[in-house]
Amino acid sequence: MAINLKPVDVVVIGLGAAGGVAVLPLARAGLKVAGLEAGTWMDPHRDFHADEVYNNVRRLVSSSPKAQRECPTVRATPSQQARSAGVHPMMNAIGGTSIHYWAQSWRLKPWDFRTRSESIRRYGPNSIPAGTTLEDWPVTYDDLEPYYDIIEQEVGVSGKAGNIQGRIDPAGNVFEGPRQREYPMPPLRGAGFTDHMMDAARQLGWKPFRPPAAINSQAYRGRASCVFHGYCSAGGCHVGAKNSTATTTIPDAVRTKNLTIFDKAQVTRIVTDSNGRVTGVTYIRDRKEYFQPAKIVLLAGYTYENSRLLLLSKSKAYPNGLSNNHGQVGHHYFGHWTSNVSALFPYDINVWYGLPAQGATVDEWADDSFDHAGLGFIGGASLHVYTERHPIDAAAMNTYGRAPLFGSAWKKFVHENAGRVASTYLQTNTLPYETTFLDLDPEVRDPLGDPVCRITSGGVRENEQRALQHAQDKMEQWFRAAGAIEVTKPPANGPGISTHAYGGTRMGDNPETNVVDRWGFSHEAPNLGILGASVMGSSGARNPTLTLQALAWRTAEHLVQNWKSLAG
Amino acid sequence: MNSKEERDSNVSRRELIQSAAFVPLAALTLSAQQPAAKGALTPGQMKTLVAFIDRLIPRDELGPGAVESGAQIYIDRVLAGPNANEKATFIQGLEAIDAYAKRVHGAALAELSAENRDQVLNEMIDSPFFSRARRLTLEGMFSDPYYGGNKNFAGWDLIRYPGPRPAVAAEDQALKADVKPYRVSAYGTKFGQ
Repeated sequence: MAINLKPVDVVVIGLGAAGGVAVLPLARAGLKVAGLEAGTWMDPHRDFHADEVYNNVRRLVSSSPKAQRECPTVRATPSQQARSAGVHPMMNAIGGTSIHYWAQSWRLKPWDFRTRSESIRRYGPNSIPAGTTLEDWPVTYDDLEPYYDIIEQEVGVSGKAGNIQGRIDPAGNVFEGPRQREYPMPPLRGAGFTDHMMDAARQLGWKPFRPPAAINSQAYRGRASCVFHGYCSAGGCHVGAKNSTATTTIPDAVRTKNLTIFDKAQVTRIVTDSNGRVTGVTYIRDRKEYFQPAKIVLLAGYTYENSRLLLLSKSKAYPNGLSNNHGQVGHHYFGHWTSNVSALFPYDINVWYGLPAQGATVDEWADDSFDHAGLGFIGGASLHVYTERHPIDAAAMNTYGRAPLFGSAWKKFVHENAGRVASTYLQTNTLPYETTFLDLDPEVRDPLGDPVCRITSGGVRENEQRALQHAQDKMEQWFRAAGAIEVTKPPANGPGISTHAYGGTRMGDNPETNVVDRWGFSHEAPNLGILGASVMGSSGARNPTLTLQALAWRTAEHLVQNWKSLAG
Repeated sequence: MNSKEERDSNVSRRELIQSAAFVPLAALTLSAQQPAAKGALTPGQMKTLVAFIDRLIPRDELGPGAVESGAQIYIDRVLAGPNANEKATFIQGLEAIDAYAKRVHGAALAELSAENRDQVLNEMIDSPFFSRARRLTLEGMFSDPYYGGNKNFAGWDLIRYPGPRPAVAAEDQALKADVKPYRVSAYGTKFGQ
């Protein structure tokens, strides 16, 4: 039987981007917190390297062997056989995916929180795509603004404000919602190429800006500034300039002496009593099973694992999985629709060094920044060009029909052109749909015998496809204005498994269609909170981390302020 | 947790937790980075691989090719280690090329002239093996020399990659800049080649 441990106030499952920030307000308030993490501490000197094979081919900092053993399966529609997705984009480590992420740290737009009602107001009810389960969020941008601000300060975000309390500054993003103050650090410096792209965008009449990043542009709270060495993507920062929770909020929480970290702890079930309250969690560590009792459980795994652990945690009170008596766990899931439009220039653009967060971004064609009348879609995509190019990837470049794939003619081509290719990241406003969801795979199991998560990706989405194609055309226009001689637009397809995975435990006021309430607590199990992008009901046209961290802090603060009623 | 069924499943679950199938997390940490004791290919298979990658990236006036850079050493090592799951498929591919070369051109790949080998490569250019072998050759030639290829940084010189500098100044990121190459492995000099 499981070994019973001493009860704690709060157990947090997963010390990644979300759990890693939530522990800080809890520990500061004096609550006794047990942080359970399947991975362990990574050592910047031993584990982080300027090495493409290590980071990008073997993915040793972006997907642990433990995650790989639980890799979800994926299928487009229920009529297909689901197959292993190949790579699980979940990192088991203290700091989780925030160790290796691009650290682009965006606030969503006010429009993102009210996409349904704003689209109906501006374009009529028929503008809402068929089959979407989109709802307005139960919180507004104004509700979340103070928490965005806290995370920008506590974690450390560099950037340039475009809207401080309504005062517009064209050096920042003029389309952003009003902020209470400037970023705590100036934006990362531009590279020659990103500055060149900014100029080209201005010639088109657009308003480009240097995007925000949880990367130190100068020394911040005793941590070093970025060295731009070119191995940030899927890698950890050896100088500590990337502000993962492992170097920021988690050490701050440990210093309070109220957070105890249990590393290499694989949580297997959340346990409930006959009244439907959670009583704690079981986990395995060094081949022994433990039961950690707690007054409150905060579930903070990666999106796929949040739904999976709930569905696995069946009990008398929750026969179909924890907090799933309304059948909503796994629903309103979606992966972010994104695209890379690449381009070849007739001269060396020199983007070898830098990092994906060192870039130039255009927001004219995202969200509701432009009039969609007659376009046949709502939303759009942000356009982002960036630096950091690795040698294997560069040598594997598209030859654009200008050279064969091997031999001396190929050598001559890559000698000239490997340093002339630019990559981009286009991110759409992606919506949830009825036919995109997560459940447990009926056949594939992990080494413990538990089913893995199964993704049903849902196939073609006309709204997202049109939005992405529209953005790709704008990206091509931008590249051509900057002097590109070749532009490649890949097919606009949705993801199977994704590093930007949302939903499955959506936040909303209606318990019939949402798993957690506006504070992030379960509609069914009152002392269970859920953290992460799994609570987000739409993506926005940008990276999710800052938003899920702001929500996580807000949930933790709500818990502190309502301790007696929530802890019972 | 009271029914007989639940008790039985708890017993089998406990066995699973303690069994060899459930490798503890500590044992998995970074094991993928350990080099294999010996390579994956026989001398005959290595000969075919060398004949193949020698035409993929040949030595010419732009400098060393894949073979002189040691891409075959990288491939041999990864097929014995982190890529062991594709070893059998890869060897089947090498054998299939040799069989094809004998049937169509009358001799094993390694015995054919450069022109005939180029012909074989062109004839198989759409095959999955060609893509995979090409990809592994690029990994070998353009990866950190720690992994056995990119000898004397020949791959990085070919594509004019300036190398992983410890710190990069703004002028190293200027448009059209001719950045002086920095030729050091991320693992220093203390690794066996």
